[in-house]
Amino acid sequence: MTMDVEEVKRRAGPREFSPADDLPEEYRTAATRMLEFHANSEIMGAYLERPFIRQSPSLERKLAFSAKVQDEIGHGQLLYRAAESLGIKTREEMLSDLANGDGKFLNCFHYPMTEWEETPMIAFFVDGAAMRRQATLKQSSWEPYAHAMDKVCFEEGFHVKHGESILAELMNGSRKEQRLTQAAFEEWWPRILQFFGPTDDQSTHHDFAADVGLKTMTNDELRTAFLNSYLPKAETYGLEIPDEPRIRQNDDGTWDVVEDDLDWEEFFSIAKNEYEPGLGQINARKEAQAAVEWVREVLDDREAMAAGGHTGQAAD
Amino acid sequence: MIWEVFRQEAAGDYHAHCGNVHAPDREMALLFAEIQHGRRKPTNSLWVVPQDEVGEVDTDEAVFGGTTDKSYRFAQTYSVEPAAEEVEASEEEQTEAERKRGDL
Amino acid sequence: MATADGASYAGVDDLDGEEAAEAVERLLFRLADDELVVAERYTEWQVRAPTLESDISLANVAQDELGHARLWYQVLERFGHDETDLIWERDPEDFRHGTLVEQPFADGDWADAVVRGYLYDVAEDERLHALEDSTFAPIRDRVGKVLDEEAYHLEYAESWLERLAGSEDGHERLQDALDRLYPYALTLFEPGDGTTDARIVEMGVRERSLGALRESWHDRVDDYLGSLGLRVPPLEPSERADGHVSPTDLPDHVGREGDHTDHWPALFAEMTGTYEDLGRDHATRIMDDDE
Repeated sequence: MTMDVEEVKRRAGPREFSPADDLPEEYRTAATRMLEFHANSEIMGAYLERPFIRQSPSLERKLAFSAKVQDEIGHGQLLYRAAESLGIKTREEMLSDLANGDGKFLNCFHYPMTEWEETPMIAFFVDGAAMRRQATLKQSSWEPYAHAMDKVCFEEGFHVKHGESILAELMNGSRKEQRLTQAAFEEWWPRILQFFGPTDDQSTHHDFAADVGLKTMTNDELRTAFLNSYLPKAETYGLEIPDEPRIRQNDDGTWDVVEDDLDWEEFFSIAKNEYEPGLGQINARKEAQAAVEWVREVLDDREAMAAGGHTGQAAD
Repeated sequence: MIWEVFRQEAAGDYHAHCGNVHAPDREMALLFAEIQHGRRKPTNSLWVVPQDEVGEVDTDEAVFGGTTDKSYRFAQTYSVEPAAEEVEASEEEQTEAERKRGDL
Repeated sequence: MATADGASYAGVDDLDGEEAAEAVERLLFRLADDELVVAERYTEWQVRAPTLESDISLANVAQDELGHARLWYQVLERFGHDETDLIWERDPEDFRHGTLVEQPFADGDWADAVVRGYLYDVAEDERLHALEDSTFAPIRDRVGKVLDEEAYHLEYAESWLERLAGSEDGHERLQDALDRLYPYALTLFEPGDGTTDARIVEMGVRERSLGALRESWHDRVDDYLGSLGLRVPPLEPSERADGHVSPTDLPDHVGREGDHTDHWPALFAEMTGTYEDLGRDHATRIMDDDE
């Protein structure tokens, strides 16, 4: 019998629910939404970083960038599987929604990234913010999500340190490199602050996801933890924190971001996939994926043929 | 036929291979596995999988993780202080993995 | 491990004379440049491969090849080079890779990735096996671990070839890619000048001549692709005494003496753009030196 939502809330704890449980539609839909968003973000983040495999200024940086992009696609793979196991959407459906502009993903990955000095903004700050969040998701009530986070967090330390290493090099480099990096930081800083979304009283999906244990920390808590770790790092490397958007530390160590200083119109147009540069990136990826559709058809035909000669019971 | 059995100790844990059973079909395999592999050790769930359906590649055929230097994949290669506790935790896990691989 | 007269070269200083050192250096440039550029094209498939799983796998192949390039460039450093002049500040005309690896491909042409990978990997397999007992120790010491990684590459390429060849559409695309790439693949075995290859074999640095490698390569490729119903052009039997194949079988640009197609300087400019824009004068090292 399908568990009711009250029972889910009562039992919700770390890694409590698995595909063996008959979970209510509300839970499965909410978990699918979270996982699909997370998985899409991995793919679009990889999309943004891939040109820098080619543009890396040393052979070892090139190796690292290739490995990082590879890992991100790997994270997408894990997360789509964790999402699929909820029985709401298949990976094919999620990937085709992403291609069609219906799939949602992180605000930062809607912006173009064209210069080397921008790479640590994603690879250090955004990845650092993401890793903060991912570390808490090891306690998610959806076991496949938590399991995916085990592997993601294992790998992610390389990404953040790789990003930091690029930042350290730029900020210890020529005046020109420092100037360019500061400019990139100023451009990306508001987007990074928006990574965790609006403050909690403005967030819509939080309550249910928290109540059923899908996530365990609020946006505000995560933003504070991120700022406490990463602001000092920025300062260590000599980055100047822009005066605006204003951020204020409270006596208890938490941080307030002055929301009026951030462009929420842009944020919400991004959230709807209506921001032009982001749309361009979505469409460019769609074309690349459409170009290899013929290969997937070959694989699908082969799979269908193999299944035809096989009497195994259907999975799940 | 032979069925491979995977046991999960508690909710949220990974299913780990723990043995196998002879059984004519899946239903009986589950019944046998429940007693043979679930009666003594703490068990939350069991999976049974037809042995023929398990593919394998091992170190006789593969060099997992490669043979040339792949240290660029590891956090400990980058000489910066971890920015946060989760970065540090990841680095520790990676150092452990590298050690177990015999690369350290 | 040794020539008829038992020579073995522990390092660069043991090579007898300038000509010997230059011959080994030339061989290393071919190895390193081939690996670098083939990898560079593979990385273009990252985030563009047909499925997530194939994306991750091909990325690994790319990293392996880049790692092999790194390894061979490090041997070249013993000849007095550093990464800056080996890659970042080198004139693109001084690169010695065969033009197979620099060829661009059309969007979505996965058959190109598979066929190029296969033709290249068989060539790699032939040439690396011929280096296993090299008299030049820095090469001999490294071949084993490179070969260990190449086994996956070959299996991966063959696995895809078999699957694609099984469909009408896939078969046609494979044949197109093969027709287009085959002449370029021959460049992998083209000697640069008229004397180096003979000297390399005479010194025992590589056991077999390029011509002999080409013949084994062709036999394998012809057998295997033939078994999948793909047509491989015959190898001109009247092989010329200088080791070159008939110019009519070769593409206009071979690469081995720096005669590249226009795709190479374009690719090189993309690769070195950041280095140039930031006015760098050194290439960042992250990893320890290979021992």
